[in-house]
Amino acid sequence: MTVAAGIGYALVALGPSLSLFVSVISRKPFLILTLLSSTLVWLVSLIILSGLWRPFLPLKANVWWPYALLVLSSVCFQEGFRFLFWKVYKRLEDVLDSFADRISRPRLFLSDKLQIALAGGLGHGVAHAVFFCLSVLTPAFGPATFYVERCSKTSSSHVMSLQPCVTAIIALAFVTIHTFSMVIAFEGYAKGNKVDQVIVPVIHLAAGMLTLVNFASEGCLIGVPLLYLVASLTLVHCGKMVWQRLIESRNQSVPLQ
Amino acid sequence: MDRNQRPRSILESLGEELIGILTPVSICMFTVVLLVCVLNSDPSSSSASFSSIATAAYAESDSDSSWDKFVGAFLNSLVFVAAITVATFVLVLLFYLRCVNFLKFYMGFSAFIVLGNLGGEILVLLIDRFRFPIDSITFLILLFNFSVVGVFAVFMSRFSILVTQGYLVVIGVLVAYFFTLLPEWTTWTLLVALAIYDIAAVLLPVGPLRLLVEMAISRDEDIPALVYEARPVIRNDSRLVQRRVWRERRSSDIENTEVRVVRAEAEAEGEDLGSRERSEISVPLIERRPDQGESSETFLEGIGLGSSGAIKLGLGDFIFYSVLVGRAAMYDLMTVYACYLAIIAGLGVTLMLLSVYQKALPALPVSIMLGVVFYFLARLLLEVFVVQCSSNLVMF
Repeated sequence: MTVAAGIGYALVALGPSLSLFVSVISRKPFLILTLLSSTLVWLVSLIILSGLWRPFLPLKANVWWPYALLVLSSVCFQEGFRFLFWKVYKRLEDVLDSFADRISRPRLFLSDKLQIALAGGLGHGVAHAVFFCLSVLTPAFGPATFYVERCSKTSSSHVMSLQPCVTAIIALAFVTIHTFSMVIAFEGYAKGNKVDQVIVPVIHLAAGMLTLVNFASEGCLIGVPLLYLVASLTLVHCGKMVWQRLIESRNQSVPLQ
Repeated sequence: MDRNQRPRSILESLGEELIGILTPVSICMFTVVLLVCVLNSDPSSSSASFSSIATAAYAESDSDSSWDKFVGAFLNSLVFVAAITVATFVLVLLFYLRCVNFLKFYMGFSAFIVLGNLGGEILVLLIDRFRFPIDSITFLILLFNFSVVGVFAVFMSRFSILVTQGYLVVIGVLVAYFFTLLPEWTTWTLLVALAIYDIAAVLLPVGPLRLLVEMAISRDEDIPALVYEARPVIRNDSRLVQRRVWRERRSSDIENTEVRVVRAEAEAEGEDLGSRERSEISVPLIERRPDQGESSETFLEGIGLGSSGAIKLGLGDFIFYSVLVGRAAMYDLMTVYACYLAIIAGLGVTLMLLSVYQKALPALPVSIMLGVVFYFLARLLLEVFVVQCSSNLVMF
């Protein structure tokens, strides 16, 4: 794969997150720190998961149920991590609020909290894209790794491997899902809204399970559009929720006038 | 309208100084990884040809057994750390005898050698790799000018801060790239040995770096060292945030500052010919308290984020972080990402420890240990797992 193609696939997976980074996150240094710590937290979760699953790998090719088990356990573990992440963020929010009081500045606004949640979600998305997509795309100097041809399209004269392209596209969907479900989750935990709290693990699990569809031959032609359906659902739900909150908070801050 | 009247939230400016240090560290690591990827893509070429003081005891070859390699690498690191200790003690002696001018001259000379010699070698390798058409006379003139400006940037005061920072990062990149050419086992044991040496040199009462730093504080002088200084941000009550553009002499600008020195480190490096040795003292993390009258805002004192004034990081830290990441790049890019995050986390932890303990702390150990741990975890555990999943297009 040429360098240009590699850069192209990397931009497919990470382009929107890059623009989010440049426009929102790079303006405030604290958000960059949140992004970096969030990426680190999810990396640690991936390492622990790989440690737990190491004795059972490598799994047999073409048998799909061990992978289903893997996805299920990983999603549950990561959702647990998300809850822990929320707890730590709550503690940090208290510290920041007391600090703001001390220097007589206003406490964190709603938009600040939303931005921190967005940065956390973006960290999750970037961690996913980097470890699942970029490191498999880029040429390895070390010993060769297993490579299974999963997604290919037979045309009349030759078989074309769509795998790197599909990997990038799937990674893009997951980046979207992770970024915005973190916002939904944080708001859900903050307001105690059960719907929001439950919908995030459900979306994550559904997305994970949908990738199992790729096991069928030419399955990626069905799996990927469905995955994007889930991603757009996440986006719509998040957008609605944020809009409602902002309207609520504006109504609260402009009292009877 | 509502927005404009709303006072600025604390989120606008919190953590700015930390980002001011993380950015050059990240740029240095990224450049070293890029150089490693570009210049090492042909493995048959020059991997065994770098010999220096760090390979004096044992030259690794592929046919040795693991135990032999480990023992050899251990001996190499012992020799290297011993050389560094001796060099640091010599520097302490010179500083004690107030030969500051000699030290400054030596720093400038070593910066010139690094930029000219190492920079020239890397540029030649790059020109060769990319088939860039340039003749030797033009090349020599450009290289000479580049090195001389670098020496001025590093040691003159009232020089543009941005140029100084750029040159310091370049020096870090050049030295780090040459360290990555060491054989593999030697590199890892060397990094761990240096982290341990760092703890010993800073925390033990007899440690050379602690002596050096205490002398500098008691005399209220600058240690002649290669130190990266983030641009200090001067805050006013109004929205305007000014950044100092000129680097100013320390003695003239702050009267009653409390300098808390975190760590100082000396390193010696041998050249290919083994005959030249260069020492660079780096005083990594110095935190300054804001002037009593300067700013009306106090910052978050608990976390290292908030101290106003510049955060300084020594060049030795830059170099060894980049060596770790560069060596990780020689295996696979997944390890690079893991090690990068580990090092950044280590740096953050060190700054937090600094603000808690309020005394001299070594900055290398936490990052290096985290980096090494994450490298081996990523290589042994993570890679198999992730490749297994993503090659079957199963993701979560």
